[in-house]
Amino acid sequence: MGLHTLRLATVPLTFSTFTSRLFLKPIPPNTLQTLGQFSRHVQPRKPFLVRAFSASAAVQETPPTQASDSSAARPQWKASIDFKWIRDNKEAVEINIKNRNSNADLGGVIELYENMVNLQKEVEGIREERNNVAKKMKGKLEPSERERLVEEGKSLKESLVTLEEDLVKLQDELQQVARSIPNMTHPDVPIGGEDSSAIRKEVGSPREFTFPIRDHLQLGKDLDLIDFDSASEVSGSKFFYLKNEAVLLEMALLNWTLSEVMKKGFTPLTTPEIVRSSIVEKCGFQPRGDNTQVYSIDGTDQCLIGTAEIPVGGIHMDSILLESALPLKYIAFSHCFRTEAGAAGAATKGLYRVHQFSKAEMFILCRPEDSETCHDELIQIEEDLFTSLGLHFKTLDMATADLGAPAYRKFDIEAWMPGLGRFGEISSASNCTDYQSRRLGIRYRPSEPVQTGSKKGKASLPATKFVHTLNATACAVPRMMVCLLENYQQEDGSVVIPEPLRPFMGGIELIKPKLR
Amino acid sequence: MGLHTLRLATVPLTFSTFTSRLFLKPIPPNTLQTLGQFSRHVHPRKPFLVRAFSASPAAVQEIPPTQASDSSAARPQWKASIDFKWIRDNKEAVEINIKNRNSNADLGGVIELYENMVNLQKEVEGIREERNNVAKKMKGKLEPSERERLVEEGKSLKESLVTLEEDLVKLQDELQQVARSIPNMTHPDVPVGGEDSSAIRKEVGSPREFSFPIKDHLQLGKDLDLIDFDSASEVSGSKFFYLKNEAVLLEMALLNWTLSEVMKKGFTPLTTPEIVRSSIVEKCGFQPRGDNTQVYSIDGTDQCLIGTAEIPVGGIHMDSILLESALPLKYIAFSHCFRTEAGAAGAATKGLYRVHQFSKAEMFVLCRPEDSETFHDELIQIEEDLFTSLGLHFKTLDMATADLGAPAYRKFDIEAWMPGLGRYGEISSASNCTDYQSRRLGIRYRPSEPVQTGSKKGKASLPATKFVHTLNATACAVPRMMVCLLENYQQDDGSVVIPEPLRPFMGGIEIIKPKLR
Repeated sequence: MGLHTLRLATVPLTFSTFTSRLFLKPIPPNTLQTLGQFSRHVQPRKPFLVRAFSASAAVQETPPTQASDSSAARPQWKASIDFKWIRDNKEAVEINIKNRNSNADLGGVIELYENMVNLQKEVEGIREERNNVAKKMKGKLEPSERERLVEEGKSLKESLVTLEEDLVKLQDELQQVARSIPNMTHPDVPIGGEDSSAIRKEVGSPREFTFPIRDHLQLGKDLDLIDFDSASEVSGSKFFYLKNEAVLLEMALLNWTLSEVMKKGFTPLTTPEIVRSSIVEKCGFQPRGDNTQVYSIDGTDQCLIGTAEIPVGGIHMDSILLESALPLKYIAFSHCFRTEAGAAGAATKGLYRVHQFSKAEMFILCRPEDSETCHDELIQIEEDLFTSLGLHFKTLDMATADLGAPAYRKFDIEAWMPGLGRFGEISSASNCTDYQSRRLGIRYRPSEPVQTGSKKGKASLPATKFVHTLNATACAVPRMMVCLLENYQQEDGSVVIPEPLRPFMGGIELIKPKLR
Repeated sequence: MGLHTLRLATVPLTFSTFTSRLFLKPIPPNTLQTLGQFSRHVHPRKPFLVRAFSASPAAVQEIPPTQASDSSAARPQWKASIDFKWIRDNKEAVEINIKNRNSNADLGGVIELYENMVNLQKEVEGIREERNNVAKKMKGKLEPSERERLVEEGKSLKESLVTLEEDLVKLQDELQQVARSIPNMTHPDVPVGGEDSSAIRKEVGSPREFSFPIKDHLQLGKDLDLIDFDSASEVSGSKFFYLKNEAVLLEMALLNWTLSEVMKKGFTPLTTPEIVRSSIVEKCGFQPRGDNTQVYSIDGTDQCLIGTAEIPVGGIHMDSILLESALPLKYIAFSHCFRTEAGAAGAATKGLYRVHQFSKAEMFVLCRPEDSETFHDELIQIEEDLFTSLGLHFKTLDMATADLGAPAYRKFDIEAWMPGLGRYGEISSASNCTDYQSRRLGIRYRPSEPVQTGSKKGKASLPATKFVHTLNATACAVPRMMVCLLENYQQDDGSVVIPEPLRPFMGGIEIIKPKLR
């Protein structure tokens, strides 16, 4: 970067670009707000059916006949899974489950689904019979005939109650079993384990050092930037304090990232970091169990977020957006909390794997036909950010066995960390297609009224569709710090600050060892 | 502020002042680090005695490790170094203080337990001496019958000793539990009484007069698309919120500006863990458990979420002995804060005023006892300067005795005018906790001057350690600052003007305008 750029790339300039963008964006933010007020809760809300924290209108299809304590295992919410599609594409789903190393029980799901369909038919048949009986009773009848009909109606009603209860149980069970079925996979994703992941792009080369290098832990200690020792007394292992220039570096990373990403039309957000566990589940994470990554709050049904993806995913929960409002692009700043249960070994050294960290996360809601383009845009933004910081990295098209259940496709970026002597993941960009929106209940209504099939002559509203959701790391602070400290260390123990960040940390160009 | 200042008061300029300060401060940060490495854990660490997360073995060191770990659920996990002798010798003053502060501490109980403990200690020592005497006697040549008698006597003494020592441990534990509720003493100038008795230290500005119907921050936040409580209540619960658009930039600007201003005064910036062991929360004088606790606990662990950065910063030098030359230690810590706000209700809880999660920059000072009043003044001065720069109308209150939390020796609150809410609201609080927290956290210092007198055996004895004083003060509690800024700087057309000092930190934005429909 030349002098000119340096002089001008201060906060004011960068942001003034944003200022105009904010107001001139194709979708002014308060269109959305108006929209939200209009379309949110168009269906009347039902009282909580299952547990105190049951969060959403997603339970509306469950008949409210069940007592709230009928079963501890009852799902608190309902995913709109397309069971018919799953049954009709059994082979593809089967192969997908195998490719993704998932233990989802497809056979069980299909069996339960077919049982449910049959039971539904049976219930409908009995309802029809009952209606017929009721109709017959409207006319004049012999007393004996009336009595027979009364008896028949009574017996039909009893069967109906029993069958409806069975149906609810079956639907609940189907929900539980079907939730483990992963998203389908993009046809270009390489099949296999971690080693099969394909390189999409590689930038730079490992820096060659002419002196013995230190890892970020040593640099953090020598420069008085990071304090793990006190944090392990106060909080536990894998917690840390940032000190001195590290605090400014964190702020600079976040401010710079936000301003860069806002230039692309993303709306900045800060989010709640405590959310109801149902939201965590709806985003495809498992908030409970021995190996959960999620911290739960004692005595409530809330937990701490592991990523801003969760609260941002929830922001439009149970609503119907206008097509013209899409895409919605957010850049959210939050602290993230992870138990890191089961994590051990060298990969957990220092800042690489910690219980709490700051992160700026991008999140997009868009039309299904746009999600691949948006995915590309997200990866491009990540690559541009890391290139600006001068990192050596590669972008990987992650293989099937490495995909989490919600991802249709995932690109990870791994950067060179010379002190750790390996590449380490610094970002992840996933297209979750409709996996999350089917759980969170986020739909949109296409703008064009449907022309065909307007049965009764009136202009029917087009059917709603599920949006696609995408998420991508813009800046996970601790891993960026690993990269910056280790790659920009100098022989005298100092660390150079990359030029783009300097204006955001008071012009500091170098972190020098403090005077003894 | 003139144009010149505006043009130059960008981030780079403000921070470059800091750059030199950071390296030219009288106490270079890594003096402290070296010090920390040297003085931390001078006492060998003991294995956890009581519960898995018992945090500070050094604090429990005086409890004999004879007790089984499950002997009593009520055993304290750590030990506060409370000066019981001083309490007993100043019974009347402590009694009056407890009454003035509306505390329900049981002074009589504490003194009784303490005296029982002292007596029991004497008894134990007496028996130990007897036992030593018996042992001594057995060294010489003895008649077999006499030896047998001594063996029996020794045995019986040992048995009494075991029993008495167990009693002593129980008594010490009970004393700890009961004594912890005794509040700090109070500065003589603090007005005695309830909230109404608080004295005004300073008043700045006057309420702005509006020539148009005003909105509160909730309405402004909605109209300007800055704050989303509705989605947050679905996703998280009531009293949570998302910030959007310029509000995100305003939060960052407030924090960046505050940090850079406070760093100019020689404070070391920190970010902190937001999950801490509950014992640290207790040691800072907060109650992490019980029905009315303000503290969120983590399920299945002994950890909780911090309600303020005061807690992790208080803990950073826990169980260590600092050099006098390292003092004062001045920190400005940024963290998110989490509070259950159990029991909070009514108008005071509207909008951003009382929320479950918020961002805050908190100042924290560790210093010599003789300096804590001066630093209390410095902290209040910094707060007043910050809020004056933002053009707020506020008053600083010397909080009356009944309004002081247990750790505070004296507390100054700043209440600012919030026109939309139509009242003053607390925006900061600065407390001198003297040695209340340091006696619990085990933070001492060793005076530099060797003690001249009483050097009994002729060798140059190290001066005795003393407890440091701790002080904490809000530099910027973001949501309440937002209430003030939005409500005070609203314009007739629904826009909100950004105060000049913040503009360079939010990309030069001068005004938040209603978005186009």
